[in-house]
Amino acid sequence: MSVDLAVIHPTRLELLRLRRRRTLAQGIVDILKKDYEALVLALFELVRRIPILRNQVREALNEAYNSFIAAQMIVGPTKTEEVSLTCDPVDFDVRLGSRKGVLGLVLPMLEFAENATTDANPRFSLLDTPAKLDESNKGIVTALGCIIKLAEAQATMKEILEVMSVKRRQINRIEYKVIPQLEASIRYVELILEETERQDAIRVRILQRKRKERALRTVLVSL
Amino acid sequence: MSAWKYKRLTPKVIASKLRLISKKDLTDLCGRNLEAVSLELSKTPYKQDIAGIPTARLDSLSLERAFFRNFERTCMEITDCAPRGVKRLLSAVQSKFEANVVKTMLRARAANISIDEAMSYVIPAGRLDEASCRGKLGNSKNIVDLIETFSDLGYGEVLKNSLTEYETTGALQTLEAVVDKYVYSRIWEAVGKLMGVDRRISRTVLGIEIDSVNVKVVLRGKALNFHEDQIKRLLVSSSDVFEAKDWENAMRSRDVKSAIESLLSAARSSLARDHQYVLNDVLKEYERSKSLSRLETVLDLGLLKTSLRMVRRYTYFFNVGSALAFWNLKWFEIRNLRAIIRGVEANLSSAEIRKLLILPY
Repeated sequence: MSVDLAVIHPTRLELLRLRRRRTLAQGIVDILKKDYEALVLALFELVRRIPILRNQVREALNEAYNSFIAAQMIVGPTKTEEVSLTCDPVDFDVRLGSRKGVLGLVLPMLEFAENATTDANPRFSLLDTPAKLDESNKGIVTALGCIIKLAEAQATMKEILEVMSVKRRQINRIEYKVIPQLEASIRYVELILEETERQDAIRVRILQRKRKERALRTVLVSL
Repeated sequence: MSAWKYKRLTPKVIASKLRLISKKDLTDLCGRNLEAVSLELSKTPYKQDIAGIPTARLDSLSLERAFFRNFERTCMEITDCAPRGVKRLLSAVQSKFEANVVKTMLRARAANISIDEAMSYVIPAGRLDEASCRGKLGNSKNIVDLIETFSDLGYGEVLKNSLTEYETTGALQTLEAVVDKYVYSRIWEAVGKLMGVDRRISRTVLGIEIDSVNVKVVLRGKALNFHEDQIKRLLVSSSDVFEAKDWENAMRSRDVKSAIESLLSAARSSLARDHQYVLNDVLKEYERSKSLSRLETVLDLGLLKTSLRMVRRYTYFFNVGSALAFWNLKWFEIRNLRAIIRGVEANLSSAEIRKLLILPY
């Protein structure tokens, strides 16, 4: 851990300043660790939610596909394929937004919005298709909603992981770089100051000894 | 009523009926794979139609075509043996399949797909054989051209009358509904030309069939929250059990259940016993399952049960009842086989496939 000691003024004032900075850095590390813990809790919450959402997607798709196969069984695969030639695709939008999450983080928000059918036509021919096809369609729309919720959860997780990695880097930098550097600087200043104190003490003792010798010589001369 | 008129039709129907696949054999097919089903079917009257399918191309699509070929041939055989009035009626009923070809061609043209691709969806029927369908598709660049080519078949005129509406809304379903309306009105006309018991039986059986189509449209429209006008456009001609105001009342009902109740009370006031049986079953099923698809199955089953009831109610041999009952039995056999092969192909369990079978007994 290299510290450029040449730029440090080994003074008491500098020592106080360095100590203040170390206390501040430790305070920052504590706050960052608490933030990190809050992020970990939010991440665990998401980790618990994602498999549930995945299951919901799987169930909705299963239901939709089963209904679709049932529709094919009722009217025949040729007819279902043929009807699909002229049927409009599911008209939906994904609204992108943001929301305040844990620690006031701006997290992505995805919202599924099925556009209401504006024209007066059903999606499939009511005369040639069974109601199972509507059930399948409904299942697909539900699955789409779940897929978008899942995408939102995964985007949130990615965002939280990124913030966590930034926080971790900040904690590491302060804990393993800034604080040791400050401590090294403090030790250096303390050493210099102790050295100066020792030198001063010796100097005082020499001066006192010289003063005593001078006084003794003066007494001897007067006698 | 002359028994002599039926000297060819009745034996033909009885012989054909004996060749239908039994319920046990049909349910046994549910648990097998596609090859095994095909092998079993090659021991039935479908042998001739299945034999032409190479093993590598054996799938639900090719088998479905084979079933249709068999159905059309059987229908032709029955129609050929029928007396004049009944022949007219059976030909009108058969034109439902011709109408399907018209609708398929309209869809293919609207989707602007190639002739070969379009022909993969077309199952030729009636006057629309493969060459004629190819010719009509080849001679048309758009829907208007295609409608022009149908002028020789009678569909052209009714389609032309709805062309403005299609051009305004861009909804192909308008044209599809017009084709269905035309076919069902022809069937109803043919029913009107019959006399005596034949007329009574046909009015009941085909009336229930036509009304079932309308009931399905109304209830599905209600479930999907469509406006009354949207539903009305898709209704086909009604039997004489329900009047226009009965359908309007059903369309204006609060929900699916009250729509069924409204139709049931209309059937009660028309003293249409067979309609009441079907609608009672429909209401019970809806209250039990709240599922429209189950309700559709009950309606289909209702049609089949009514045809068989007509056979039991009137003298067995010398009326149109046995022909209509056989016709429906054969159609539902095809439907069941289609359900089985698609279910088997999709690896569904035997129990799941059985749920979608329409078995009258």
